Order: sequence, then structure tokens, then C-alpha cells
Amino acid sequence: MSVVQRFDCLKALAGSAGDALVVSSAGAVTLEWNAVRPSDGNLRVRTLGLCSSIALGMALGLPQRKIIALDGDGSLLMNLSSLATVARMKPANLVHIVFDNEVYEASGKKKTATGAGADLVGLARAAGIENARWAGSVEEFAQAAERAVNGAALSFIGVKIGTERASVPPYPIDEVENKYRFIRYVEKSEKIAILSANLPASYD
Amino acid sequence: MNAMEAAHAIVAGLRGAGINLVATLPDINLAELLRAVEEERQFIHVPLCREEEGIGVCAGGYLVGKKCAAIMQNGGFFNSNNAIVSTLMQYQIPLLLMIYYAGDVGDRTFSSTGSMTEPVLQALGIRYYVMRDSDDAPELIRRAQILAEDSRRPVALLLTKEGLGRRAALKSL
Repeated sequence: MSVVQRFDCLKALAGSAGDALVVSSAGAVTLEWNAVRPSDGNLRVRTLGLCSSIALGMALGLPQRKIIALDGDGSLLMNLSSLATVARMKPANLVHIVFDNEVYEASGKKKTATGAGADLVGLARAAGIENARWAGSVEEFAQAAERAVNGAALSFIGVKIGTERASVPPYPIDEVENKYRFIRYVEKSEKIAILSANLPASYD
Repeated sequence: MNAMEAAHAIVAGLRGAGINLVATLPDINLAELLRAVEEERQFIHVPLCREEEGIGVCAGGYLVGKKCAAIMQNGGFFNSNNAIVSTLMQYQIPLLLMIYYAGDVGDRTFSSTGSMTEPVLQALGIRYYVMRDSDDAPELIRRAQILAEDSRRPVALLLTKEGLGRRAALKSL
């Protein structure tokens, strides 16, 4: 069986993601996702491990909107307890995808614990996320992702991938601009007001 | 105020400040407060397994329009430092941190944690206020939330035992 590449999975996901808000883990996944679906509805995460928790906060705060977390094995291994918290809160609008290449890809390709046998889908199930499964090919991933995005249940999809990186441009904006663009995008697409200017000089 | 009255005063304060998503992890001294948080229907309550998750949950909530608070012990605040710096500060995201001040004067078992709490807050440049009287809760919480939103940074309230209605207040503190 040929090695699954993350970029091919992301291209398939872009076809079914619609206007979902997408939170992506620190690393190349963010750049590749931004290349296949450039949008102000993308948020890059900088704290390793925090992707799943940020996505949970979004899913709980905006239950009518689909939220997709694009996580990695190194990242999720750092925040395994988030699986139990996600399972406990059970947001029906959250799709948690983990690209598992068994290495800390952005940090010198040292082996992660999944390379030594840790099973992230097994861990997700054991934490209480019933709808958790591995996808074994790009086609399987594309189907699972489409079902998850169009469905109405918390879901977790793991996919074993190679370590190849696609040749894509660097991330075009810094964290603060990413934040403002993301919030403005949510305001516009949800027709809600989030940011307000501080009071003028006659404060209080 | 007893612990239950203090808990309700603090929850009223959170509500008054517009808070509607609260992430928590228990400490015995926070038990009444967390009970009151759980009962408050206006809050989305997220019980955490580890405090650093809560920084992510609150950041995510903020980005989609929630006003968030995280309630934890000071040991949990230490657990959260990477996320506070590399997410909250890096993206300029406000957050109200409600931190139980374990190891405060006369508070047994965590004196090392108590000793390092204010120095770490100071090192991170997080503005903080010690809440020793739950009568102050509604106003102090409202002001802290205004400061967090205006500065787009985390702001901490240190909750002492007397502030939580768990022991008598001393005038000199």
C-alpha cells in the first residue's frame, strides 16, 4: 500500500470542509492547509498541544458552526487529557483530525510515542469518543472526513501519513493579524458582534 | 460571608462582568465556588483534566465571541504558563484568571507554591489583585474583566481563603 501524504488528505478535505472554522496545529499542516483552503476562517496554533483545546472552546462557543481541528501526533500526545475533556463535553460540531507521521516533524523528525506503539484512535475511544476511527488511505480519509463534516456528531479521525512536506508558501500573517481576521470573519459570517472599541475619552 | 455566600457573590460578579464560559479544575477551597458555577445556567461550564487545556478552551471561546474565565489553583496556573505566554500573549487574547492562592499566609500545605505565585505573575507581566473580601467580588471582577479586555491580556484575581468565605478576615491583610 502506498504511503498516504497529508497534502493529499488536505486537498480532499478542502472539497468537503465548506465554511467550517479550521484550527491547525503548530507545524507544516498549517501551511499546507492554508495553501489548499486560504481563508480568514483558519487559525494557526502556536502552542504545541493546544489545538484540540482551542477547537473545543470554539465548538462550545459556536455550536451551530462546524469546527475542524487539524492536529498532529506530537501535539496530541502533549495534551492527551484534552481527549477526555472533549469526550465529556461531547460537542456535536467538532471534527478532530490527527495526522500521525510518528515523528516530531517540525522539530528534527525524532520519533514520537506513536512510533513506539501508542494508538491515538484507541486512546480517543478509551477517553470516551465513540466515533473514532483510522483511515487507511486518502480515499478512506476523504469519505470519513466528508461524513464527519456533514454529520452531526463528535468525531475523531486518525490517519497514518508519511513525513513528506508539500512545497507551499510560508504563512502570510502573524498571530495578532490571524486573530483579528479570524474574529472579523466569524462576526461577518455569523452576523454577530464580538470586538468592541474601548470607550472614548469620557471613560466610565 | 460563609463559603456558599461567597461563592454566590463571586458567580454574581462573573455574571455581571458578562462572563459566559467558565473552565475549571477543583481545589478543596474552590469546592463551593465550583458548585455555584455548575449551577449557573448562563455559563458554559468546562470541567478540565489539566489547567493548560483551559487556556486553550478559553482562547477558542474568545475567538468566537464568548467572555471567558478560568478558575484554578495556583499550581494549575503554573501548569498553564506555556499556553498563557505562547497563546494568550502571543495573540493578545484577554482572559480572567481566578486563582486560588494556596500557600497564602497561614494556609497550610503549599507554602512553596504560595511563595512563587506573585513573583511568577510579576515576571509574566500579568496584572493581579488579591481578593481578601468577598464583598468586593462583584466590583473587583467587573473591573478585572474591563482591564483584561482593554489590555487584551490575562488579568488574575488571587482568591484567598477569607475571600472565599473559608476563614475570618484580618483587617491588617
